[in-house]
Amino acid sequence: MPVPSHHIIAVPPPFAEPPYPANIFAGQTVLVSGGGSGMGLAMARAFAQGGASVAVMGRNLEKAQAAARELAALGASAHGMSCDVRLPEQVAAAFDEAERILGPVTLLANNAGANFPVLAEDISVNAWNAVTRIAIDGTFLCSSEFARRRIARGEGGAIINNSAQYIWTGFPGDAHSAAAKTAQATMTKAMARDWAPYRIRVNAVAAGFFPHESSTAGQHEGGPESLQGMIPAGRTGSIHEFGWLAAMTCTPMLAGMTGQVIVQDGGESLRRSLMMPDFIPPRERAEGPWGWR
Amino acid sequence: MALMGWLDGKTAQLVGESPAIAAALAGQGATLVREGNCDVLVHVAVPTLARPAHELSHAEWRAALDIGVDQRFLLARAFAAMCRAERRGGAIVYVGAPEQALGSDHAAAAGALGNLTKTLGVEWARDGIRVNTVLTREAGETLGNIVAYLASDYAAYVTGAVMGVGLDD
Repeated sequence: MPVPSHHIIAVPPPFAEPPYPANIFAGQTVLVSGGGSGMGLAMARAFAQGGASVAVMGRNLEKAQAAARELAALGASAHGMSCDVRLPEQVAAAFDEAERILGPVTLLANNAGANFPVLAEDISVNAWNAVTRIAIDGTFLCSSEFARRRIARGEGGAIINNSAQYIWTGFPGDAHSAAAKTAQATMTKAMARDWAPYRIRVNAVAAGFFPHESSTAGQHEGGPESLQGMIPAGRTGSIHEFGWLAAMTCTPMLAGMTGQVIVQDGGESLRRSLMMPDFIPPRERAEGPWGWR
Repeated sequence: MALMGWLDGKTAQLVGESPAIAAALAGQGATLVREGNCDVLVHVAVPTLARPAHELSHAEWRAALDIGVDQRFLLARAFAAMCRAERRGGAIVYVGAPEQALGSDHAAAAGALGNLTKTLGVEWARDGIRVNTVLTREAGETLGNIVAYLASDYAAYVTGAVMGVGLDD
């Protein structure tokens, strides 16, 4: 349903007006996992706007390199790399490569993840392992590699994890991602505690619905525009406002913030009413397990 | 630090004491007002004394709930009515101590406030009014900056959020 015209919709400033100065990350290098597209690329662009050098890591080298070229066009030093974040040797090699080309990695954005609608009984062992281990093991491996290097240098740093708005409610029709994204949020708090003595901050954004080219929901018939009305805020998220919040947690402006999970979802995850539509089990939904396809 | 005019052209009412928040709001371009119509309402509750529940009189209990949740609700409701009358959105940010930082009186008030935040965030979403809460022991620059962010259009997609600042929040 379209949003009625008398409703008031809060909108962010345009991409050209970031919330921090162009040199706030000057001299710093951020490594963005899953940075080749979608929300990872949005984070990479936000860090680039603040003057960071950006190492873009993705499973697909061509996409990572294309993203690096896009960041270079924004004026950033950038480098694209391929890496499977489930493999510790590859993670260590990627950090080596990033540091060789761009200098010490001082900031880390964990975005690598996979997600698709599927009934729990239809999730293959391979699919379960892929979705959970990219997010859970990948975040652990990248974060611990980052922390060891920061601790060895005696310098602090900041990590931002891309979690999801459904981490508190469950996500029927998406059991693998429901488990994976909550693990990211709970490890955020534990790692923040582990590394506070080393001045490494760890935070997460529990992100709502930010449609982009590679999101499953972005493929919805009629495009994401037809989904604006389902969000209390009256719109889906603009991907640059997600990138900004993620990057901002890593700035000195929020130097005292750690162990936090900030929900940015336009109220999507919150209850709207005591009365709800009749419950239809994901298996019986005509439009697929997420209920719209 | 990095003042970017997040709140240029906006008016903000800060209820309660917080030099860091006042500095951040003004530093980001907001005009602080004491009363009347404004774009932003920030309410900072004075921490109550931490005492065991069996040592609290009902009057003391009531005072903590009054500052911690009742006044906050009534102020927000008046603010939202004003926004609606003027056909414009607004932002409300509540600030207080973490739920378990003080006594049972504060725990009750802070829990009530958290779910009030989520409720009003949805109830007023289509009025363009956002409602968020920071529950923290911190009082410095980071608190000021996160409150100014939540008050600004940069947080246009953040509503109904309850967050802390430091590790033990």
